[in-house]
Amino acid sequence: MSATTLHADASVPDEKQAAAKSAGRRFGALVVRLGAIAAFAAIMAYFVIFAPGFTSTFNLINVVEQSAILGVLAYGMTAVIIGGGSDVTEGGIDLSIAANMGLCAAVYATLLSMGYGDFLSVLAAIAVGMGVGALNAVAVVGLGILPLLATLAVLNVAAGMELTLTQNTVVGASSPLLGVLVSGSFLGISALAWALIVFSAIMIAVIHGTAFGLRLYAVGGHPEAARAAGLSVPFYVSFTYVLSGFCAAVASVLTVSRLSASTPGSGELLLSVLAAALLGTVFSRRFVPTMGGTLLSVLFIGLLANGFQLLNVSSYWVNGVQGALILLVVAITSFARGSEGSR
Amino acid sequence: MTRSMKGVVRALALGLAAACSLAAISGASAEELLLKGKRIGVSAIGTDHYWDLMAFRGIQDRVKELGGEVIALDAGRKDQQQIAQLQTLIAQKPDAIIEQLGNLEVLNPWLQKIRDAGIPLFTVDTATPHAINNTTSNNYNIGAEIALQMVADMGGKGNVLVFNGFYSVPVCKIRYDQLKYVLTSFPDVKIVEPELRDVIPNTVQSAYSNVTDMLTKSPEKGSIGAVWACWDVPQIGATQAVEAAGRTEVKTYGIDGSPEVIKMVMDPKSSAGAVAAQQPYEIGKTSVDNVAKYLAGQKVPPFTFVPAVLINKENAAEKGKPFLDAAEKAGVK
Repeated sequence: MSATTLHADASVPDEKQAAAKSAGRRFGALVVRLGAIAAFAAIMAYFVIFAPGFTSTFNLINVVEQSAILGVLAYGMTAVIIGGGSDVTEGGIDLSIAANMGLCAAVYATLLSMGYGDFLSVLAAIAVGMGVGALNAVAVVGLGILPLLATLAVLNVAAGMELTLTQNTVVGASSPLLGVLVSGSFLGISALAWALIVFSAIMIAVIHGTAFGLRLYAVGGHPEAARAAGLSVPFYVSFTYVLSGFCAAVASVLTVSRLSASTPGSGELLLSVLAAALLGTVFSRRFVPTMGGTLLSVLFIGLLANGFQLLNVSSYWVNGVQGALILLVVAITSFARGSEGSR
Repeated sequence: MTRSMKGVVRALALGLAAACSLAAISGASAEELLLKGKRIGVSAIGTDHYWDLMAFRGIQDRVKELGGEVIALDAGRKDQQQIAQLQTLIAQKPDAIIEQLGNLEVLNPWLQKIRDAGIPLFTVDTATPHAINNTTSNNYNIGAEIALQMVADMGGKGNVLVFNGFYSVPVCKIRYDQLKYVLTSFPDVKIVEPELRDVIPNTVQSAYSNVTDMLTKSPEKGSIGAVWACWDVPQIGATQAVEAAGRTEVKTYGIDGSPEVIKMVMDPKSSAGAVAAQQPYEIGKTSVDNVAKYLAGQKVPPFTFVPAVLINKENAAEKGKPFLDAAEKAGVK
């Protein structure tokens, strides 16, 4: 973080020195990054060799299914980090995303149980999700509150509304759409796994294949430059929060299908969502969040829990390893970011 | 009928013996029951409460004692994680799965999948049609006994604050329904409406503030006679609140027998009136014995009851001690 500011201040006479320093850092960052990827690869290789049944198609599809909800949420978080900049303290972050999903799931399940059809209930869930996203946008862009604090406040609003709605109880739900998501399959791949595949394809295409996505990176990377180039920074940043709310709503439908109900405690997912979005930066050459990187890290987190279980290693280790990886990646990115200022 | 009676008798014997000597009983059964070469999957929704932890440990210890291998999965009270763990567990094809507590609405479709995969399913304290056997306490008994104790202590009249946040949890439903049933015979004992809601997490803090609020709302002494909860963690908060408010005429009642609550009941000055103490460790072990029997080709009843003990102000010193000793032995305060 301090490295970023240093670079912003770097004036013309210091340029050579800065370039040399930057090259050194860049090399260091490359080594660390490759090291991290090697560690990921080594863990996977270990599972492939030692965990019984790890590579079976059945097991791998299971993992994709288990990763669908986390994946959809992590895309929302990634979009926010891309648009708001990846500075961990002042950049874009949406701490409310998991609680928002809980609220959307509660709305969806409650409406279904009241007899409204899928169409209306899904629409309502999406409206609520995007509404909460818009609230984030107003707080961050309109009121200029630090995203970390603004979305923390909105997290509490969403969690409180969910509790009010469900009274902290389990709301059972069933509908034709949920039936398809639970038991449907196509080409031997289950509906939930397809949901992740299709959603991933859309997100990757939009963020990495369009001018819109490129501008979003510009807004997050260099707001001043983006503004000078005539981009409406507030619009792009607001968009990411609303998109994040949309992702929460989509994930809520998936979660209700998987649990046959809306249940309290969705907020617990936040750490994994953050982990996925932050770990994903390791897969990018410039340490920026990418949708592809997020997908890889979501699958990695899923495979980690799966592999440990297959090896009969205590599930308590999964949290520890996940936490350690976040720490490692945040440390690497903060260290490496110095080389990125002068790009 | 005879089979389930046998189960009850057996469970009674087990419980009694366990109270005297845990080591002796396991030595005796180990000769007949074996799980050599068997892999048993164990899935628990969480182990953050004394009951859950002890049952989870009882299962694991017993499987190892009988020479089996345990795949122990603790979902950390996250439904998503428990479902993912069960899904992977089904793919691992263990010889049997023991499932311990959780949201039935969430679990049932997955328990069905376990059976569809041809894996014998056993449950601990979780009544579901998919399980071959559910090992638990006799919650009908427990619910009636604690309700009767409460009514007796109240002298057959007064108002009760009731925590009813977990009616969707089957054992809580039974205990609550039993309370209601007992109260039909005592029309002068009234439940204060609206009922209170116990929550997870922050159960103690939340119960403390709920009860404090209600005592403030009914300031005259004697306007509230008792606090009831279907488990004993809210009872901790309720007891602290009653004592802090100086309203010691209010007594608290709960179920499970966490060591902290047993100590409260044993303390003559405490407002904790009674607690029905279960034997979660024994319940876990007994469930494994049922698995071993089933895998050995013996028939097992659909449910097995492990006896609970009502600890009240009169018998606390004598009845409470074995429970505290067992907790200490397990390294739990």
